[in-house]
Amino acid sequence: MTGIDIRGVTKRFDLDGRSLTALDGIDLSVPEGSFAALIGPSGCGKSTLLRLIADVFAPSEGAIAVGGRPPKAARLNHEIGFVFQAATLLPWRTVRENVALPIEIAGVTPRRSPEALIRLVGLQGFEEAKPAQLSGGMQQRVAIARALVLEPKVLLMDEPFGALDEITRQRMNVELLRIWRESGTTAILVTHTISEAVFMADRVHVLSANPGRVAGVVDVDLPRPRSIDLMKSPRFNALENAVRQVLFDDDETEADSTPERAHG
Amino acid sequence: MAKWLRDRVAAVWPPTAALLGLLALLEIAVALGWTPITIPAPSGVAMEFGQSGADLAYHIVPSILATVAGLAIAAALAAILAGIGASWRRANGPVMTFGVLVDSTPLIAVAPILIVFVGGGMTLHIIVSATACFFPLLIGMTRGFRAVEGTADELFHVLAASRWQRLVKLALPSALPYIFSGFKIAAPLAVLGTLIAEWMGAERGVGIMMIYAMFSFNAPQVWMTIVAVCLMAIGGYGAFALVERIYLRWAGLEEAPT
Repeated sequence: MTGIDIRGVTKRFDLDGRSLTALDGIDLSVPEGSFAALIGPSGCGKSTLLRLIADVFAPSEGAIAVGGRPPKAARLNHEIGFVFQAATLLPWRTVRENVALPIEIAGVTPRRSPEALIRLVGLQGFEEAKPAQLSGGMQQRVAIARALVLEPKVLLMDEPFGALDEITRQRMNVELLRIWRESGTTAILVTHTISEAVFMADRVHVLSANPGRVAGVVDVDLPRPRSIDLMKSPRFNALENAVRQVLFDDDETEADSTPERAHG
Repeated sequence: MAKWLRDRVAAVWPPTAALLGLLALLEIAVALGWTPITIPAPSGVAMEFGQSGADLAYHIVPSILATVAGLAIAAALAAILAGIGASWRRANGPVMTFGVLVDSTPLIAVAPILIVFVGGGMTLHIIVSATACFFPLLIGMTRGFRAVEGTADELFHVLAASRWQRLVKLALPSALPYIFSGFKIAAPLAVLGTLIAEWMGAERGVGIMMIYAMFSFNAPQVWMTIVAVCLMAIGGYGAFALVERIYLRWAGLEEAPT
């Protein structure tokens, strides 16, 4: 019911009077409760697509449905949780106050307290700390707790761990999967790391750049719950290669059609 | 506590010692008759504080009131204009032009004209004081209202926050460090504005006391009023610096880049 359906979505931006097509004819659907990954080179419009789903921008053409309704309705109904690349915490608020921000704004009494969410992301004992006192990984956990506090039906994440080191990042990913399973939301993760996309998602949507199009889809049939050990398995590597194939096949055809760029 | 005190002392003693040293040198120079009669001995100025202290208190009260009122009026006006400039982008150019115009107005030349309209009383002092300190307040508030980070703005959009919630929970706390910077620069300027206006005409005021002292060749009293004005300016700056420091520490923020 709260799956996400994207039909024929095109997004153009006006830059200095020129029209720039960021996304061109995107068709994509994410079933309810599943985990989707969007991967593609920079400039493929994956962050833009995420913002279209969150009703930050409106599509130039096409339609998006979140649980069968337009994104704006879902946003105003507080059904969307968004995690940005930077934690985007308010520095003057404590961890607890940051996590409670959506509750204050929506003016509702949630089923789960901010404290419960802080426990869920493993930050118990830091409730009264200010963001500046936390590491980058901890700040991003606070951002995830904040995104989940109203139990959104949809969780959108824009390279949430992009700024973290590899080790912290893998640990965070395992935790994120646990949190996602507990919360049962529909999740979309934007990433530019192939292994991360395969490790996290049920389905990896590969986008190509200039303009952003869906280049292909790779279904990930790995069992859940997933652990780091899974990444050593041949099946995991095969899936990684499948994603890589779609990513770079697309790159080659583009290079062939524009030889001057291939040499430049 | 002991370490804190030691750090404080370590930070404060070099400038204090330098100042006391300079004053001692001046004292000696005056005693040896090396200086013109317009420069009194520091001890003479200090004694003047004792003798004319009551007189000074009588004159400084309306000066402080005019300065505070001028600062408040300028701040209110700057807040309104910066708010318009921030929410309506096309208005920003004209708002800034107006700010520069006000800032470049030669107060010494304009104050006598103003007397024609509003007389030489408290109203004049407040208007000139407000004019003198308006620009840094406008700049501080304009920058402050734009201090909201792009993703924080998107966050509040996704959370479906109302305009009021955005203002109270995001825009104002983000703007405060810049606004404090504006006030720190504006407070001494407001003092200067009051002083200039009082020179033009006043019944009470540290500016008119300074003029009387000048005309009666009472050098120690002139210097006493100068020291008093300096203390007012430093006090204004210090008060806002203190509030700023308390806020920044509470908010866990760094000082605003100015």
